[in-house]
Amino acid sequence: MGEGRPPLVVLVADANPKRGFALSETLRSDSSLRVLTVPAEMALIDAVKLHAPDVVLVDMARADRDALDSIRALSQSAQERPIALFVDEDDAALMETAFDTGICSYNVVETPPRDVKPLLRAAIALYSRFRRTREELSEAQRILAERKLIDQAKRFFMKNEKANEAQAHRWLQRRAMQTSRRIAAVAEEYLASQKKDDLS
Amino acid sequence: MKTPIRIGVLQLADSAPVIMAHQQGLFARHGLETEIVVSPSWANIADGLAWKKLDAAAIFCPLAMMTALGRRGHDAFLRPLTTISRGGNTIMLRGVNPVETIWHAGSHGRRAFDVWRCGIGRRPRIAVVHIYSTHLLILRRFLKMIDVDMENDIELVVMPPVDMIHALSEKKIDGGCVGPPWGAEAERLGVAFRVGGSSSVFPDHVEKIMVTSGKLSRSEEQIETMTLALQEAITFCQTPQYRQDVIEALAASLAEGGLALPAEATRAVLPEGSAEEAINFMSGALQEHDIEWIINDMASLGWLENSEQQTLMRWSVSGAMTSAPPVPL
Repeated sequence: MGEGRPPLVVLVADANPKRGFALSETLRSDSSLRVLTVPAEMALIDAVKLHAPDVVLVDMARADRDALDSIRALSQSAQERPIALFVDEDDAALMETAFDTGICSYNVVETPPRDVKPLLRAAIALYSRFRRTREELSEAQRILAERKLIDQAKRFFMKNEKANEAQAHRWLQRRAMQTSRRIAAVAEEYLASQKKDDLS
Repeated sequence: MKTPIRIGVLQLADSAPVIMAHQQGLFARHGLETEIVVSPSWANIADGLAWKKLDAAAIFCPLAMMTALGRRGHDAFLRPLTTISRGGNTIMLRGVNPVETIWHAGSHGRRAFDVWRCGIGRRPRIAVVHIYSTHLLILRRFLKMIDVDMENDIELVVMPPVDMIHALSEKKIDGGCVGPPWGAEAERLGVAFRVGGSSSVFPDHVEKIMVTSGKLSRSEEQIETMTLALQEAITFCQTPQYRQDVIEALAASLAEGGLALPAEATRAVLPEGSAEEAINFMSGALQEHDIEWIINDMASLGWLENSEQQTLMRWSVSGAMTSAPPVPL
């Protein structure tokens, strides 16, 4: 982004406020950009009309993205600045990665073209990082939930069979091997059978 | 490991045949491994088809056509397989209906519009679900029928159907044209009244079609089996005795593989339901009369060149064929 040019106005529209904040902060480190976000409760199209950005970075999970498709078709009568999905014909892989990551970019059609690829790349990197963190978090939550199930099943087994923890663990382990299932699945089934017995 | 065929749908009752074909194992019985992708927006469906994120989708003709013409910035080899549904769109308005019926063509409708607009007190804001939608074409024809000019007499906005109900109650919009079951749901909640829709503007117009994209469009064997599975699912969804199964499947949460649709309104809009704008599930190739009016209306809105109109007319085939042949665009 060259010197002496007016700042490029970038609107960040993310359904995830944490990620939207992180992306905005990343982009703000570039002084040639003026970064704005879509306030909660405001429709994307209203934010575009209000801020008249040059570039819009949109989280593809937003249902109101459909409205952006209409700006171009309706712009003649409404005298609004037409915008269009940014497409890099020479770099289909970049576009596919962007769609894969869940982000896309719109350009104002009448604005002289400036390279927006660095913005899109920054957004892709951040979205990927958030996705990895989310996956790691959900994996950690899954392990924790399984651990709770197994511990609970062990407690029931120890009480019912007057066994110690090692015996309870061995029983779950053996049953998992016999039925080719995970210990957590066996624990869940055992707990369900206990609940059923309690009800009957 | 085989990669499943990714089929895009939106949270609409006319996505039912795709959901049922997946859940009831009809795709699997025909040797197709499928994954249902519930998309938050039509733009995601169109971009998914154009950018290899979806192999197929249940979609309306205008957006499928614009996508096939490369309007998403990328050539997309789209192939129409079969029609899925006919009708089902509701034109609804907030406030009080000045007449006791739907609005009829000519001065009856125009007078009702004028009285209603006085009550609204502004140039009415009417929403559609996407600019390139059947809904917009139906709305435009309806307004024309009652001598109202879409370009000047109303303000057109685009909004997801689920948001329309909230926007009507908040008076952010004054009406809309939506797909099933959202029109019936708005009526049920008392936030809008129906003035027209598919049944009064263009009865049994083709609404959702199944299109394939990319590699899947070139696989004759998969095209044939997918069409057969869909035909079976469409017959299933059209059969009254399976209605409860369809309602339960559509009302189930997204996590359970459903579409989280409101059950009561869904019951009303399924075939032979109580809603005036009930859906008909019908399979078969697109016929000339199915798409001619769509292409003409799209052209009159300035969306299509002459040559593009000719190209798109090739999406229809003679009634003898079960599915349309590939049309490279």
